[in-house]
Amino acid sequence: MSSESSKKRKPKVIRSDGAPAEGKRNRSDMEQEGKYYSEEAEVDLRDPGRDYELYKYTCQELQRLMAEIQDLKSRGGKDVAIEIEERRIQSCVHFMTLKKLNRLAHIRLKKGRDQTHEAKQKVDAYHLQLQNLLYEVMHLQKEITKCLEFKSKHEEIDLVSLEEFYKEAPADISKAEVTMGDPHQQTLARLDWELEQRKRLAEKYRDSLSNKEKILKEIEVKKEYLSSLQPRLNSIMQASLPVQEYLFMPFDQAHKQYETARHLPPPLYVLFVQATAYGQACAHMKSSQPPRQDKTLSVAIEGSVDEAKALFKPPDDSQDDESDSDAEEEQTTKRRRPTLGVQLDDKRKEMLKRHPLSVMVDLKCKDDSVLHLTFYYLMNLNILTVKAKVTTATELITPISAGDLLSPDSVLSCLYPGDHGKKTPNPANQYQFDKVGILTLRDYVLDLGHPYLWVQKLGGLHFPKEQPQHTVIADHSLSASHMETTMKLLKTRVQSRLALHKQFASLEHGIVPVTSDCQYLFPAKVVSRLVKWVTIAHEDYVELHFTKDIVEAGLAGDTNLYYMALIERGTAKLQAAVVLNPGYSSIPPVFQLCLNWKGEKTNSNDDNIRAMESEVNVCYKELCGPRPSHQLLTNQLQRLCVLLDVYLETESHDDTVEGPKEFPQEKMCLRLFR
Amino acid sequence: MDRITPLTVPLGQAEVFQALQRLHMTIFSQSVSPCGKFLAAGNNYGQIAIFSLSAALSSEAKEESKKPVVTFQAHDGPVYSMVSTDRHLLSAGDGEVKAWLWAEILKKGCKEMWRRQPPYRTSLEVPEINALLLVPKENSLILAGGDCQLHTMDLETGAFTRALRGHTDYIHCLALRERSPEVLSGGEDGAVRLWDLRTAKEAQTIEVYKHEECSRPHNGRWIGCLATDSDWMVCGGGPALTLWHLRSSTPTTIFPMRAPQKHVTFYQDLILSAGQGHCINHWQLSGELKAQVPGSSPGLLSLSLNQQPAAPECKVLTAAGNSCRVDVFTNLGYRAFSLSF
Repeated sequence: MSSESSKKRKPKVIRSDGAPAEGKRNRSDMEQEGKYYSEEAEVDLRDPGRDYELYKYTCQELQRLMAEIQDLKSRGGKDVAIEIEERRIQSCVHFMTLKKLNRLAHIRLKKGRDQTHEAKQKVDAYHLQLQNLLYEVMHLQKEITKCLEFKSKHEEIDLVSLEEFYKEAPADISKAEVTMGDPHQQTLARLDWELEQRKRLAEKYRDSLSNKEKILKEIEVKKEYLSSLQPRLNSIMQASLPVQEYLFMPFDQAHKQYETARHLPPPLYVLFVQATAYGQACAHMKSSQPPRQDKTLSVAIEGSVDEAKALFKPPDDSQDDESDSDAEEEQTTKRRRPTLGVQLDDKRKEMLKRHPLSVMVDLKCKDDSVLHLTFYYLMNLNILTVKAKVTTATELITPISAGDLLSPDSVLSCLYPGDHGKKTPNPANQYQFDKVGILTLRDYVLDLGHPYLWVQKLGGLHFPKEQPQHTVIADHSLSASHMETTMKLLKTRVQSRLALHKQFASLEHGIVPVTSDCQYLFPAKVVSRLVKWVTIAHEDYVELHFTKDIVEAGLAGDTNLYYMALIERGTAKLQAAVVLNPGYSSIPPVFQLCLNWKGEKTNSNDDNIRAMESEVNVCYKELCGPRPSHQLLTNQLQRLCVLLDVYLETESHDDTVEGPKEFPQEKMCLRLFR
Repeated sequence: MDRITPLTVPLGQAEVFQALQRLHMTIFSQSVSPCGKFLAAGNNYGQIAIFSLSAALSSEAKEESKKPVVTFQAHDGPVYSMVSTDRHLLSAGDGEVKAWLWAEILKKGCKEMWRRQPPYRTSLEVPEINALLLVPKENSLILAGGDCQLHTMDLETGAFTRALRGHTDYIHCLALRERSPEVLSGGEDGAVRLWDLRTAKEAQTIEVYKHEECSRPHNGRWIGCLATDSDWMVCGGGPALTLWHLRSSTPTTIFPMRAPQKHVTFYQDLILSAGQGHCINHWQLSGELKAQVPGSSPGLLSLSLNQQPAAPECKVLTAAGNSCRVDVFTNLGYRAFSLSF
């Protein structure tokens, strides 16, 4: 390059100025160096400061020359041209110096630039290296931190504790001597052990799974077997029905009953269970023959099971319907009055609704009369009611006065004292009644049956007197304890009513029927006669003037039956007003007397009447006769006749005296006149 | 018609029987305790009830104070008669006389101190004892009743000393004539007989029914009650209530009472009588009816005046009869209240 540039310069130099070189020291350099001419090398040799001085000198010279030329030109003349020529040559030389200097400056500049460039490149390279290294450092640091933070999966595994590990792991895994010191090895060993254990457990799991499969298969097989058994059993049962009938062991029938019984509401269910149990127990006790259903007590369920099932349909639909219909009804009531009554009526009917199933119990008494009891359950009121009917073996001709004795309405009244069955025993019902405007249950009793307290107890429903009961707790123990007493009472009640029935028939004809085993209570000849026997109403009884004491003593309630008997002898007429308590033979009838004979005598003005009354009322126990004392009433009447006889005969100045009679001495009060 | 219907409580057999008993109860006899604070009443069922007069008369008397403090079964038959000595209550009815200690009587389960039966002629039936009489001078008790005799029993020894016969029918009542001493007895046979206790003989006989002024044949001839005040005697029953002068055996005043009287007594200057009909009649000696005080029983059988000096605040007249109630009269003019069995 330098040789090329020098070759180029040579022609330049030759062409441009052929003039002698003044002050060009570089020629000397050129001669020194030989053929080629390197200005680059010259640049290194020359001092830039001196070059700068030279430049300044040259510029000055040029300026001077120019100025001289100027002057000469302006003076004009001939020789001036030579001087101008001279100066021109000098200025050309100077120009060449300037060019050289310019070239040198350029070269210097170039060199400087190159050097800077080089240095810069180096610096850049270093810089890059530095950057690279820095990056690498950073990268490594990150890697290190990552490594340091690395949590290996093995730390998430719950390893067994160290002690356990050393205890359980076999020696070749635990390598105690190595692992004790080195935690890394220890962890490795533990991981090994963990793996070992897991493998074993996986084995076991697979085994158990296969076991389970086997067992499931076995179960399937057995189920198949059983389900094929059921139809066979059914067919056996069917086949055995005729045998059951033949042997009087209606298990199937009982089974069907129990099926239906499942749909009974809880109180009826309790009643059913207890009644059946009692019936069977009685049969066992009475007969020594093979046990059979006791004929005296039979229990059956009546009613529609489907309706009962329908009661348990989802309540949502019915509630929606109700609310809709309520809304409708409200609207209509605003428009038309008459529907209010209808709506209330419907609500009442709803409240008094009965459960579709009912339990029928038939009690047979010794004389073949049967008491049919049908028990109903009122769902909304949560009470049990009963309807009763008495049928007798032979047709009864009902005497007029005995109308009420066996009527379904009153035959069971006051079985237990005070239990008249006209009021609902559940205190909560009162609030329900107020909502629909029912005053008392009395009005509906004929239709629904009587809610006696003993019926509630038989169904296990216990109503405390003070608080209303909200839940249906049907209690078996309560029912069981009452069952026996109630059944006995029922039987006695029916029998006593039937006995009364018969007695009334004959009383109405004026004959006091005294049975032969009670004849000893009375003397052989009784002259006074019963003339009349009628029923009277409760209000009439209370109005009579000689019954005030009984009424005040609270013995004449509206659950009792009232009768009037008339006994005559000669001119003496004895009126007897009788209060018959529904619990007849255990609670005696109460007599109040009024004698019309030589004036009217009652217990307030004649001691004898008082004595007669107390004779019949208080000393009734000896008139009871043989158990079950159904003869009490007739004996009392007979005793009255006897007393009247005695009274009339012991009166002094009596026209009707017939002869001496024997006096029942102990009975008559001393202060009586004899 | 507005009638208050009585409460009909559900009655079981026991309650009905009790109610009937109470309705038909007759209280035959009463006796006041020696301390004057208690009254014993005997009824036709053989029960004796002890009422506390002091509690019933006090200002804080409640309903329970009108009930007996204790009731016990004393006899098998009615208790027709009772008297009190200063320590004992003697009751008699069914042929026996029993003694009860007043100090013990308030405790439950009290037993009789002793019981005696007078010697009867027939042992077939035991006649009742209708009347008891204490003779303080002799410390003896006279019993009279159905066997038509008067028996005297010595209270210390319990032995029966005399039997006075004379009545032809059973004896209703006895009265003591302090001065002589004589005992008057009236009976069913219509005669009042006076007995001298020292000689044990019948001193005088008055057959009341034979006197026309007082006899009332339609009622009978029986003498139901006797009371005597030394020379005077009042008796009644079948015949009209009459005041007699004993020495002359003449009826001096006849009290116009239709109903037969069962009990009569002298009180201060009045004669109190009671019988059939619910009133106690106050008579003046002249025969005029001073007052008729109604009681609560339809007929009265016994009157008792509590004149024990130990309890002046309990000085009342009590009347009992054909009911279970004993009427208490604090002032003779009206009935204060009734105790009831």
